[in-house]
Amino acid sequence: MTPLFWAAALLYAGAAALYFGFLVGLPDRLAIWARGAVALGFVVNLLEIGARGVAGLHPVSSARETVGFLAWVAVGVFLFMERKRHLPAVGAVVAPGSLILLLAARLSPAGDPSNLALGVVGRVHILLAAFGISVFAVAAASAILYLLEERQLKRRRLTNVVKRGAALETLDGVAHRCVQVGFPIFSAALIAGVVWSAQIASSLRPEHVIAAVAWAAFAVVLVARMTAGWRGRRAAAITVFGFAATLVVLAFYLVRAVS
Amino acid sequence: MAEIVVIGMSHRTAPLEVREKLAFTDDAVEPALRELGALPSVGEAMLLSTCNRVEVYAATRGAGPAATLLADVRQFLVASHRAELATFAGHLYDHVGPAAVKHVFRVASSLDSLVVGEPQILGQMKSAYGIAAQAGAVGPLLGRCLERAFGVAKRVRSETAIARGAANVSSVAVQLAQRVFGDLDGKTVLVIGAGKMSDLAARHLVDDGAARILVTNRSPERAEALARRVAGEARPWADLEKLLAAADVVISSTGSTEPIIGKALMKGVMKARKHQPIFLMDIAVPRDIEPACGDVDGVYLFDIDDLERVVVENRQGRERESQSAELIVEAETRQFLSWHRSQGVVPTIKGLRERFQTVAQAEVQKTLATLGPRADGSEKAVRQLADSIVAKLLHAPMMALKGEDADALAAAVEKLFDLNGREQK
Repeated sequence: MTPLFWAAALLYAGAAALYFGFLVGLPDRLAIWARGAVALGFVVNLLEIGARGVAGLHPVSSARETVGFLAWVAVGVFLFMERKRHLPAVGAVVAPGSLILLLAARLSPAGDPSNLALGVVGRVHILLAAFGISVFAVAAASAILYLLEERQLKRRRLTNVVKRGAALETLDGVAHRCVQVGFPIFSAALIAGVVWSAQIASSLRPEHVIAAVAWAAFAVVLVARMTAGWRGRRAAAITVFGFAATLVVLAFYLVRAVS
Repeated sequence: MAEIVVIGMSHRTAPLEVREKLAFTDDAVEPALRELGALPSVGEAMLLSTCNRVEVYAATRGAGPAATLLADVRQFLVASHRAELATFAGHLYDHVGPAAVKHVFRVASSLDSLVVGEPQILGQMKSAYGIAAQAGAVGPLLGRCLERAFGVAKRVRSETAIARGAANVSSVAVQLAQRVFGDLDGKTVLVIGAGKMSDLAARHLVDDGAARILVTNRSPERAEALARRVAGEARPWADLEKLLAAADVVISSTGSTEPIIGKALMKGVMKARKHQPIFLMDIAVPRDIEPACGDVDGVYLFDIDDLERVVVENRQGRERESQSAELIVEAETRQFLSWHRSQGVVPTIKGLRERFQTVAQAEVQKTLATLGPRADGSEKAVRQLADSIVAKLLHAPMMALKGEDADALAAAVEKLFDLNGREQK
C-alpha cells in the first residue's frame, strides 16, 4: 500500500468522523473541517489513482481498480452537489461509503490480470458503469438520510439528525437530480455490457439479472415521479434498493476477479 | 485609576410596573446622557433602556470614589423620573470594578436575558453604545469595555450553542417548516381560524420568505379582518379542500369543538397536490386536525403540545450551554481587568525605565570619556553592556507591576526610585 492510499483513506475516515460529530450535535465548524478533509482526500485519491495508472493499474484494468475509481468519482459527485447546497449530512454517508469502497478495492487480493480480455467495448462498459454507480451512490446517500429524517419528523421528534441534516425537500431534490443524471449513464453502460457479452459469447449470469433489476428500479423512480407524482419516502426507498443492487453486482465482479 | 460601574434594574429584580417607571424613551436618552456627563463624579456614561432592563454603565472621573458616583447616578435616576427613591429601592442593583465588567459581558452575551441566548439584547446594546458614542459620553475605558463585550458576545454565540433552537412557539413553527422545505421562498401559508397565535406564526413565516398568506374562517368578516392584519387574502370557507391543496404550510386555530380536517379529506388533498409535502400546525384546543392525518404520506402534523415540547427542549439546551458561556465570560473578564490594571501603571513603568536608562547613559558617557577614542569596537560593547544590565535588572519589577496588586507596587516603586521627584527637576 502506498502512502498516498493511506493518506486518502485517513482523510476520508477523518471526514466521516467529523461529519458524524456534526450530525450528533457537536459545533458547526466540524462540518467545515469535514468538507476540507473530503476535498483534500479527493485530491490525494486522484494522485493515488494517477500513480497506479502510471504503474499500469488504470481504472478499467480490473474490477478492484474500478471499485477504487468509483469511490473517487462518488466523492467528486458529492462535492459537486455540495457546492451550492449545505449537505454535510449527505457527506456523513458519502465519506464512510467511499472509504469502504476504497479499502475494499485496495485491500482485496489482486486477481490474475491475464484472464481479463476487455477490448474497447468492455472498457467503455466498465467506465460508464463506474460513473453511473457513483452518481447513484450520492442519490442513495441522500435517500438514506431522507428516510432517517422523515421517520423522525413524522414521529414529531426533533433529533440532532433532523436539526443538522438537510431539509427533506433538499434531500429529495438531490436524490432525484442524481438519479436523473445517473440513469442515462447507467443505461449506456448496460447497453455496452450487453454488446460486450455478445462479443465474448458470455452466458447469462446472476449479476446481469441483478444489474437489470437495478436499472428497472431507477426507471420506476423516474417514471413514477413524472406520472404519479411519486416522491419522498417511496422514491427514496426504491433509490436505496436500486443502489444496493448495483453494489451486489460489484461484489460479484470483485469476487469473480479474485477467484 | 478610573473604575467601571453599573447601576440599574432588570427583569430579575423588578416587575414590569417598576421597570416601566424607570424606562427612558428613545428621545430621552441623549438629554439624560448630557445630564449624567455633567455630574462631577461621572467620567463616562452610557444608558441602556429596553423593556427588560434599564441600566447605566459609567466610569468614574479620574480616581474618584465609586460610591460617590453610585449615589449621584441613583439620585439622577430618581430625579429624572420625578419619583421617590423608595419606588426603586430594593429593585436597583449596582456593580463596581470586576463585577461591573462581568455584568456588562454577561448582558451582551445574553446570559442575563429573560430567554437566555436571545439575540435582540446585543443589537440594543450596540445602538445604545452608538448613541452614547455620538453624544461623546463614552471615553476610552467604557468604550474599550463595550467593544470587548461585543467581542465576547460574538465568541459566546460562535463557540457555544446558546442561541440554537427556537425559544417560542411561532419560531419553532418556522424552524420545523424549514426542516421540511428548506427555505420558505415562494411557499404559500394557509391560516384557518383567527387565533392570535396563528397571526404571529403567519407573520414569522412571511418574514422568512413565504410568498403569500391565504386566510379562511367560518365567518367571512373575521377572515377579512385577519387577512388585513397579516396582509393576506381572505378565501371562502367552502373552498377549504382546494385551499389545502394549494398551501404548503397550514396553521389551524379555530374554536371548533370537532376536528375540521380528517384523514379521508387529507388523502384526497394529497392526491390533488400530487403528493407534494404539506406541513400542518394545529394550535387549536380542542384540536382541529385529526391526529391520524399525520399518518398520510407527505403530511407532517404538529399540534400545540409538540411545538411547546420543542420550545421547552430548546430552552433547556440553552440553559445547559450557558455554563460554557459563563466560562468564556469569566476568562474575558480576567483578561480585560488585567489590561485595565496595566493601564494604571503605565506611567510608573515608563518613568522607571527612563530613570534607569538615564543613569546608565550618563555612566557610559563618563567611562568612554576616560578611555578616550578607540577604534577596536569596545565603545559599542560598553554601550551594549549598559543596556543589557538595565534590561535584566528591570525585567522582574516590570513583570510584577503588570500583575496583581499593581497599584500598591506602583506607589512603592515611585517612592523608592523617586520617580515623582525626578519629574520636578
